[in-house]
Amino acid sequence: MANALFYLMALLSVASALGVVLAKNPIQCVLSLLGSFFCLATIYLLAGFQFIAAAQILVYGGAIMVLFLFVIMLLNLGDPGTADKTDARMFSRPNVAAVVVVAALLLGVAVYAVKLSPVVHAAQELPERGIDTVHGLAGEMFGRYLLPFEAVSLLLLATAIAVVVLAKRERSPKRGAKS
Amino acid sequence: MVIVKRKELSFAEQLYIPEILRGLSITFRKMFEPKVTRQYPEEALIKTDVTRGQPRLVVNEDNSIACVSCGLCEAACPAYAITIDGGETEREIEREPKRFDIDMLRCILCGFCEEACPKDAIYMSDELELADYSREALIYDMDKLKRPKKALQDRIDYVNRINDRWQTPSST
Amino acid sequence: MIAWQDLLVMVLKIALIFGGLINVGALMTLAERKFSAWMQYRIGPNRVGPWGLLQPLADGVKFIFKESLMPDGANKALFRFAPVIAALPAFMTIAVIPFSNDIVIAGKNYGKLAIADLDIGVLFLLAIGGLSVYGVILGGWASNSKFSLMGGLRASAQMISYELTLILTILAVIALSGTLNLAEISDGQATIGTWNIWSQPLGFMLFVIAMFAETNRHPFDFAECEAELVAGFHTEYSAMKFALFFLGEYSAMTVISCLATVLFLGGPSVPFWVDAPWYVGFGAFIAKTSMFLFLFIWVRWTLPRFRFDQLMGLGWKVMLPLALFNLFVTGVFVSLGWNLWAKLGSLI
Repeated sequence: MANALFYLMALLSVASALGVVLAKNPIQCVLSLLGSFFCLATIYLLAGFQFIAAAQILVYGGAIMVLFLFVIMLLNLGDPGTADKTDARMFSRPNVAAVVVVAALLLGVAVYAVKLSPVVHAAQELPERGIDTVHGLAGEMFGRYLLPFEAVSLLLLATAIAVVVLAKRERSPKRGAKS
Repeated sequence: MVIVKRKELSFAEQLYIPEILRGLSITFRKMFEPKVTRQYPEEALIKTDVTRGQPRLVVNEDNSIACVSCGLCEAACPAYAITIDGGETEREIEREPKRFDIDMLRCILCGFCEEACPKDAIYMSDELELADYSREALIYDMDKLKRPKKALQDRIDYVNRINDRWQTPSST
Repeated sequence: MIAWQDLLVMVLKIALIFGGLINVGALMTLAERKFSAWMQYRIGPNRVGPWGLLQPLADGVKFIFKESLMPDGANKALFRFAPVIAALPAFMTIAVIPFSNDIVIAGKNYGKLAIADLDIGVLFLLAIGGLSVYGVILGGWASNSKFSLMGGLRASAQMISYELTLILTILAVIALSGTLNLAEISDGQATIGTWNIWSQPLGFMLFVIAMFAETNRHPFDFAECEAELVAGFHTEYSAMKFALFFLGEYSAMTVISCLATVLFLGGPSVPFWVDAPWYVGFGAFIAKTSMFLFLFIWVRWTLPRFRFDQLMGLGWKVMLPLALFNLFVTGVFVSLGWNLWAKLGSLI
């Protein structure tokens, strides 16, 4: 039962990931991505990671994808005619070959990385609480992995500040003189 | 140029919450005050002297119709709601309507027919309700329009009083 | 293998909660009209059934027989799908609300009146509840109408902004309770002195304000905004699709009122009666939730609508800093172990 559900969800998530790339309408792309996230969340849930599943839907489904939709609607990209990505040229033989090669390379790198990764090895010696409950996850995240966690938060903070600085309009000289 | 001076808000007003609570208390109190709704079909409409309802034809005490089918109301009617066919009669007035139809769907209850009538034969009654299942049924013929003079007496008195105010010179 | 008695109990609970939610949604439409009428010296609907109680039924029948219009140039699939997305999250999230203490009938314990007892109850509720914005934004976009699009865009901006405040205030409560499980949160507030509203007065106020914004209710109903946008995102909707949007809105109000009851008012705990039987607790829960629902209606017929920039300013410049401050103070108190209110509560 759980296995069948896993394969169904895996298949669906791949299918909707393809939909992201192949759909003509930007809105449909976003919705496909959303579907893919949901399938991933279900897979997390099947693996017993409730918190990560909920966070996936809460952060990606509830906030980030809404912003994507927001931007697409604001820029009025909803017209399929303007963004016709499924051009006949796209599926020419060299293109397809290149895609296959790159995908195979990426897959190889990913598998290699997972096999070598210290995180995976560490995961095999989990604390007795495990990381599938919120308590266990929090214990791990704010205990053993506190430094990486904080580093990532700092990185995010730096990004946020950078975005604000870039997005801020330059002050006109007149106003600057006054203040 | 008009410079509108905004009132300086006190701290409590800037917090906004106390003002919200004040508003809420007002609406809450209003919930228990007497209602103004009139339950229409059960409770009749309030009729006053000036109520100007649908036009009706006056029937005299001797059961004869007061109208002489002069056609002035037909001419005065802005909505072309009135249709009159005149005819002769043995009575002293010699003429009376053979047909007097008012299309109540066209009538705008303006009261011009009442003003135009030289024989005080048509008056705006206090009847206001108008509903039926077909358009044809709402073209009222003479049988539906006739009312004894007594039923229209309030309106007749009112119109006479109003007219009198204009005819006699004012005392001041 | 699950014993059939357990299955029966489960099915009964689901039927009770789900049926209750839909009926509350229907009754809320009547309550909205009744209370608004009373506040305006009117009587309100009173023709269909005693005190107009069958009015929602009549409305439902009317909605079913209305013509379902499809605007020109609309995205057909999304147009049909949007009302479903709008109504679904509320129906899903009601599953994790614990409505009563353990049900004990004839000495046998049937568990709490809740469909699911999730360890991550609060997170699940927030995650699924946050999806209701898709119904609004997709409905607005798929309608191929300027008003609808504007309504959808405003609603999405607003809901994202206020969700932050909502989550931060809930986070403070979670920090106090030390659990994400809604049942455990309400268990931790068994006596009136331990209700979270006493230790989180600021959080409670922020939560109530954000709750209005999250459900798109007055004074934050920018998704609809009749005065400017005709009817906002559901301008083009008619018949049962429109009714689904309505049902979704009222169900979301009900769910978030239940959440407020669990988080701040101790769920099924009865003031000054700790050992109250489960049905009294259930009654207390219903009473507290009804209070919030009445507040929704009451505020709607009292306050005027905000201006959109005021709304965003309030959300980002006032509510969010206050929520962060509240979370910070709560964190300091919890980490130092100063649980003043719990001590005070144990005295009562």
